[in-house]
Amino acid sequence: MEKPIAPVDMSEHPISIKGLRKSFGDLHVLRDIDLELYKGENLVVLGRSGTGKSVLIKIVSGLLKQDAGTVNVLGQEVDKLTTKELQQLRLKIGFSFQNSALYDSMTVKENLEFPLVRNAPHVTRKEIDHAIEEVLEGVGLSQALNQMPSELSGGQRKRIGIARTLIMRPEIMLYDEPTAGLDPITCIDINNLINEVQERYNTSSIIITHDLTCAKSTGDRIMMLLDGRFEKTGTFEEVFNTEDERIQTFYNYNFTS
Amino acid sequence: METSENKRSVIVGIFVFLGIVLFVAGIFTLAGQQKRFVKSIELNAIFDNVAGLKVGNNVWFSGVKIGTVKKIDFYGTSQVKIKMNVEQEAQKYIHKNATAQISSEGFIGNRIIVIEGGNINLPVVESGDRLHVKKALSTDAMLEDLQANNRNLIEITGNLKVISGKMANGEGAIGALLTDSLMAGNLKNTMAGLNSASQNINRTAVSLSAFSNKLNTKGGLVDELLTDTGVFSQLEGSVGNIRKLSVAAASLSEDLSTAGQKLNDKNNAIGVLLNDQESAASLKKTLTNLETSSQKLDENLEALQHNFLLRGFFRKKAKEEEKMK
Amino acid sequence: MKKSGKYIISKKIDGVFTTLYDVYRFLLRFFKEVLFPPYEFKELVKQCYDIGYKSLPLITLTGFITGLVFTKQSRPSLAEFGAASWLPSLVSIAIIRALAPLVTALIAAGKVGSQIGAELGSMKVTEQIDAMEVSGTNPFKFLVVTRMIATTFMIPILAIYTGVVALAGSFINVTQNEQTSFSSFVESSLQNISFLDLFSSVIKATLFGFTIGAVGCYQGYNSSKGTEGVGKAANSAVVVSMFLIFIEEILVVQVVNAIR
Repeated sequence: MEKPIAPVDMSEHPISIKGLRKSFGDLHVLRDIDLELYKGENLVVLGRSGTGKSVLIKIVSGLLKQDAGTVNVLGQEVDKLTTKELQQLRLKIGFSFQNSALYDSMTVKENLEFPLVRNAPHVTRKEIDHAIEEVLEGVGLSQALNQMPSELSGGQRKRIGIARTLIMRPEIMLYDEPTAGLDPITCIDINNLINEVQERYNTSSIIITHDLTCAKSTGDRIMMLLDGRFEKTGTFEEVFNTEDERIQTFYNYNFTS
Repeated sequence: METSENKRSVIVGIFVFLGIVLFVAGIFTLAGQQKRFVKSIELNAIFDNVAGLKVGNNVWFSGVKIGTVKKIDFYGTSQVKIKMNVEQEAQKYIHKNATAQISSEGFIGNRIIVIEGGNINLPVVESGDRLHVKKALSTDAMLEDLQANNRNLIEITGNLKVISGKMANGEGAIGALLTDSLMAGNLKNTMAGLNSASQNINRTAVSLSAFSNKLNTKGGLVDELLTDTGVFSQLEGSVGNIRKLSVAAASLSEDLSTAGQKLNDKNNAIGVLLNDQESAASLKKTLTNLETSSQKLDENLEALQHNFLLRGFFRKKAKEEEKMK
Repeated sequence: MKKSGKYIISKKIDGVFTTLYDVYRFLLRFFKEVLFPPYEFKELVKQCYDIGYKSLPLITLTGFITGLVFTKQSRPSLAEFGAASWLPSLVSIAIIRALAPLVTALIAAGKVGSQIGAELGSMKVTEQIDAMEVSGTNPFKFLVVTRMIATTFMIPILAIYTGVVALAGSFINVTQNEQTSFSSFVESSLQNISFLDLFSSVIKATLFGFTIGAVGCYQGYNSSKGTEGVGKAANSAVVVSMFLIFIEEILVVQVVNAIR
């Protein structure tokens, strides 16, 4: 399935990263990363597991701190913000976690209203219920309202996880391995959902994945992360139309196994 | 969701509330028991030795707890000053010369201070007064006495054991005596005779003393009678005889008891003597003689009762006794 | 990081001190966060409900049995002196001074400590803590502070219940064997108890509660990735907090005896 063309505004950069470095002990995960996210686009960061893709978006959301370089999100340097400013900034960023990260002890409804209730104390019960209804409908899971996360399937959990970020109407979406651990058909559903979100909420997104199908169907632009650097940037075809053996290996491994 | 949250808050509230109530109840029960919130007066006492008394130990009066020890300080060179809180209620029973004493609740119980109320004619104590101190009967001293008693007991029972063992084996004169039933009967009779004789002596002596009292009343018939010197000397002689008799009886019984004590002693001459049959036989004879003599003594007394001079008195006495009945 | 002289002493010993420093920072952060708003009252109530109220049946049952058995087992040695009437006094000293806070803390370390360790550990592993952070909620405040406050306040209250129930257990045994009346039991059991005993016991339980909460939260919050990390966190939450409880017991007894 081909991705519909999104209205990308290349003059605006919701996220702009320059000379980013990050290492854990002796392990240099990210070395000299430059990245510009255009407004309204879906940017896919491709790479093998353990190459620091997740680290990248965790630095963007302020969960981790970089060793060097600047990370500018919506005009603010993430690592220089106070706790309060960072909290305000994070409300504009939606983060979909690899394992959905639903709160196990809460129902779906409580999960969804959690960020809303805690960050917008003056909204009424009615407004909250309305917002929940809307996002649940958006991810196609209206019937799951009063279920516990443990009762849901992996794909459903992923949808609820995405719904939970959408309820805050984010400007930027960060997807961490959205299709990991899901069956191929559910993967397609999630890929479609990512595109729908982009369309409906007009978000700019970074999608971290090692799944080429996902990259192909959601990405307006693809960046190939190898050995802590972006080796290639472009459309799916541009990236894989290459002589680079490492990229070839990656491609072959993905589609043959 | 809202209601379940409210329910939870209420349950947590009740849970915490009850916990605190229990704690506060504990505090008040404890305070009530330790009389923390009862009006009290403070009394002092200075002891040489408090034998491990501690702050918080009880103060008793007539076996009732009336307060607690508040503070323990050294005083002077080696004395100990005790401050105690005593209920105001008990103040009226404690007088100025009341005494305090260190004691304990039981043989191995907590130390306590026992107050004795003092002279009721003196005014009652006031807060801050110092009580006189009575030296405590220490457990150590008690134990020492007890130990001495124990040693004596062991010695006595040891001796008894030896004696009874010998008696059972028929060893010695006494053993022989006791195994011979005839002899035992004799001994019994002798003892009974001695007993009745000494009782008679006693009675006669009492009667005589009463009689002599009457003699002193002037103008009586007897008084007149006694002016006759001949009669008087006769009477005096009788009394002298009786006295001799009683002395003899006393020494006889004394001798017997000494003999009994010495029987066990082998080194003793008598002990050796009594160990052979011959001397046992002679003892038998002696006892028979003793019986006869005591019978004679009885007869003598009987005769005395029939003496013409005293007959009237004895008769009168018998009548009086009859009347009493 | 330099290759040579990477460790100041050795890898292991350096690790111990690094952990100590982490614990210190963790506690410091707790005291900072506990003072400044926002306060998570709703979550605190929920935690108090889970940690306090829900532990009540288990802990009081244990307390009851402790009181009963302790009385039963102490009787022969006292009866030998003919001092069975001292049982209430002896047992109440044991219960109020030591057993109530200790038994409560040990049971709570097993039940609550492991629960906190496992819960926070799995939240950490499945990125729920990160999710909370990026959705504009301070997870430390929401998860750690509430739990630590809840244990700090609930354990002493549970200890009070335990003490009362243990004394009740003791009373049942005493009244069966010595036909002691309730009032005389109360009288003699409180005879040798002072306010210091009562307060030091509650303070001790508070300290134990704080320890259980802190250890459970620290282990869970810092658990390593993977399901193994969750198990480890739950396990060490129990083991470490029990160990610390005994150490604290020794220290507090020393201090209290110095005051007494």
